[in-house]
This record gives sequence, structure tokens and C-alpha cells, in this order.
Amino acid sequence: MSTTDVERIERPGRPWRADPWLWILLPTLAVFGLIFAAPLVDLVLLSFHRMSGPAQVGAAFTLANYRAFVTDPFYLAMLLRTCGLGLLVTLGCLIAGYPVAYYLARTPSRWRGLALFLVIAPLLVSAIVRNIGWFPLLSQSGAVNWVLLKLGLIASPLSLINNFTGVVIGLIHALLPFMILTLTTVIQRIEGDLEEAAANLGAGPLQTFWRVLLPLSLPGVVSGSLLVFAMAISAYTTPAILGGNRVLVMATYIAQQFRTVLNYPAGGTASALLLVFAIVLTVLALQVRTGEERVP
Amino acid sequence: MIRWLALRGTLLTVFAFLLAPVIIVVADSFNGGPALSFPPTSFTTQWYGLIKPSFFSALYVSLIVASCTALLSVVFGLPAALALSRGRFIGRDAINSILLSPLVVPALVTGVALYQYSLSFWDLTHVALGGTLIGLIVGHLTFGIPFGIRAILVGHARFEPALEEAALNLGATPLQTFWRVTVPILRPSIVAGGVFAFVMSLDDVPIALFMGGGDATTLPVQIFTTVEFDFGGDVMAVSALIVGASAVLMLLLDRLIGLEQLFGARQ
Repeated sequence: MSTTDVERIERPGRPWRADPWLWILLPTLAVFGLIFAAPLVDLVLLSFHRMSGPAQVGAAFTLANYRAFVTDPFYLAMLLRTCGLGLLVTLGCLIAGYPVAYYLARTPSRWRGLALFLVIAPLLVSAIVRNIGWFPLLSQSGAVNWVLLKLGLIASPLSLINNFTGVVIGLIHALLPFMILTLTTVIQRIEGDLEEAAANLGAGPLQTFWRVLLPLSLPGVVSGSLLVFAMAISAYTTPAILGGNRVLVMATYIAQQFRTVLNYPAGGTASALLLVFAIVLTVLALQVRTGEERVP
Repeated sequence: MIRWLALRGTLLTVFAFLLAPVIIVVADSFNGGPALSFPPTSFTTQWYGLIKPSFFSALYVSLIVASCTALLSVVFGLPAALALSRGRFIGRDAINSILLSPLVVPALVTGVALYQYSLSFWDLTHVALGGTLIGLIVGHLTFGIPFGIRAILVGHARFEPALEEAALNLGATPLQTFWRVTVPILRPSIVAGGVFAFVMSLDDVPIALFMGGGDATTLPVQIFTTVEFDFGGDVMAVSALIVGASAVLMLLLDRLIGLEQLFGARQ
């Protein structure tokens, strides 16, 4: 705001009129309203009606769909499963991501560039292809079971795919780069001297981690976790493919309602809830991040 | 230095985890044994010959949709980004957040919303959006435009307005200034925004699944619906080709823009 005043003082020749930039913004705003806002409002409105037949929507206004979501054990179980998925994926990303982020933030090694490239590269390979790659690895006759059997660690092949486990593995893989990138920026901002000081004062590596590094990087951990959790519960492709149509979470339920069951209001209700969850989580994550940036 | 060794071990494990599915796709596409079995029994290239024509037509659809999405994302993104960074009007920050909000909305929700909307649109106008290329492009613009806006906003933060003033003082018309000063200066971020929209369009499943269908089926959706029913070596071959193409694209982008910078625009 202060820069605005400065600019206006600097350019005294220009009189103040209704800002012409608004007109330039208008076409994009119109397109946005037409192709994004209107469909979304339309979808949310659906959730306040009942299905009156396959692919048909009744006229009467009702809150019954939402009531069902908080009372029906079927929906409650699905909500719990979705949250459980989000938590497991977030935890997995934190455990696997923190050491990598620490390395990327601290290393003077010439391998850093390559390491960063390897973290980002999977993001540019189509998500569907990455999902498919898990089949030769995790299926009953796949590589992981072969190794475990050969090592004598298991007596019979484990079911690692077409179930909840497969979805957790696939989502950790898909979202790990986001966690690593978020944590790296945060750890970079922590003074390396602090760790050295802790070590000099006699703290072991674990103590340094628990009492210095982790507390200082907590805002990044929280914002990264919120983002990963939001993306995990929003994801559709991975739960659909690696869950083998057997894992019912919010996203797969929504797709099912629109593709096969044709209960649009039920799908609309779940969509509205997922929308609210995703927005709240992301706003919280950004809040944590900007809050942390304000601290000197 | 035990700490660094432990760290090194963990790092290698995580990198192996990150790369495993991508590498195995390529390896398994040459597997002569039954699909998905390990270890491979023999080497073959037969799967590449068995790729169904539907995958090639889907690739064609994907490339058209991604190109149009990239172009239109920049066409709508550039004026909006300029207005948002230079305008001084009430509610500018709010409009900024609203225009970037599609990136927060789950793609599946956008997909079913557009699907539902296209049904109502058909009832009203008898113009079909679902199952057409236009419908797919419209669907992908929901995230393409925000990516375009964000990339250009980031680039514009370093913009030096004095250069435009100099051009105007030297007699250039506002239009000339725009095309010969503003656009060239912002070109790296315009390209980054377009490339990002292109890549994301090629990657999307949920929106293309609900807005497409029939002749308007993109490559990821074709793969998605194929593996829902059966899983053969030809899908592996297609996937391996995609990995190859992504690797080439990645190296190009790394050279041209820098991957770190490209993904910096994402945050």
C-alpha cells in the first residue's frame, strides 16, 4: 500500500480515475466465472437436493445429504478411512523426506544438483505412469515379493497392491517431492551454527535433532504436512488405480457416484465436503508459512 | 561422521524409492514373460508392436489439448497478471486469491463440477461440451490459467518499470512498448507458465476423465480406463515411451528454464 502512494507521488502527471487495469482483468475474470466458479456453485447446490432417480435431481431443498454424512456409519467409516490415509501418507512423507531435505539444505557436495534433480524429476513423469510402475514391483509375483521370499523373510507373497497398502505407498511416492521441497526451504533458513553449537555443548546427533533442528523447523513441518495431507485426501488417480476399485475414500466415492451409481446429489455432497477440507487445510498451511516468514 | 554415513544410506533408500517405479516401467516393457512377473524370463520388443491404435489417437488428442491449454493459459494469464501486479483497485488481493483458487480445489471436484455443468449446458443450449476437445481444453484451463498467472506474477516481481517509461519517452506507442519491451522482458516467466500448463494438461486424469470420452480421450485417460479392465505388456510399452518422452522434455526444460526455477513458480 505504501508503494502505491510512492508511485502516485512519483507520477504526478497521471490523474486518478477508475483503474483501467480493471478492464484488462475483466476477460480473465469472466472466463474464470464461466468455466470454474459457476460449475462449482452448481455442484455445491446439488448437495442440497435428493436424488429422484438415476442421474435425476429432485427439486425440494434438503439438508438430508449432510445429515447422512455425520450420522450414517457407512459415511463415517469412509471419512475415517480418508483421514487415516492422509495421516499415514503424511507421516511416511515426513519420515522419508526429512533426511533428504536436510541433506539438500546443508550439503556443500557437488552431487546436490543431481539429488535435487532426482527429487523433482518424478513430478514431470506422468502420474499415471508412475502408478503403473508399482504393479511389477508390488504384485503377488512382483519384484518386492520375490526379494522377500528369496530372503526368507516371508513364507507367502504379501498383498501390497489393489488395497489400502498400495494406495499409501503410491501416494507417499507421489507427494514426497512436495514435502522435501517445503522442508528444504525451511531448513535452509536455520543457521547451521546452531547445530554446531549444540554439538560443541555435548549434544549427540539425535539430541541436536530433537532439541534444536526439529523445533526450529516445526513451522515447515506443519505447513508441509498440511499440504501433503490435503493433496493425499484430494487425490483420485492413485487411489483408483492402486486401490484396484476396492479402496473407498472420499475421492473414489465421488467418482463412483458420478460414473456408475449416478447419484449426483450424494456425489455433490462429498465433493462439497472435500472442497471445504482442501481449502481449509491449504489456507492453514499458507498461514503457518507466512506466520513463520514474519518472524525475523 | 557416522551421522553422514547413516544419512547417506537413508538418502540412497529414498532415491531408490523415488526412481523405482519409473525405472521398472521401462524394464518391464521388455519383459518376455507373463506381465507383472519378476524376474523377467526373456527379452522382447514385441509389446511395442502390439500397442493399440487407440493409444496413438489418444496421444494426438492429448497434444492438441495441451498445446491449446498452454497457449490460452498465457493469453488469459498475462493480462490478468499485469493487472494484478500494476493495478491499484479495491479488492485486488481478494481477486488475486480467487483467480489462483483453482489450484487449491481438488481436480476431481473440478472435474465432476464441469461434468455436471456440461449436462446443464446441454439442456439449456444443446451445445455439447462434454466429450469434445473444447470441453477438455475448457477443463484444463481451470488450472492452466492460474498456473499462467502465478508464473507471470513471480516474474513480474523483478520487472523494471523504467524500461517501459524509456520506450514511451523515446516515442514508442503503448502497443509497441507492450510487444517490444514488456513481453520480451517477461518472456521467461510467460514460457514457464505455458510449459507448466502444458505439462499439467498432459498429466491430468480426473478432469479429462469427466470432460472427455469417445473421440476426446486423452492419453492418461486411455491408460487409466485400460488398466481398469486389463493389464498387458502393451500398456507397459506405452508407459515406457512416456517415460522416455518425459526424460527428453525434462532435460530440455532443465537446459532452457531450470527445473528448480520451474518448480519455484509452483510454490
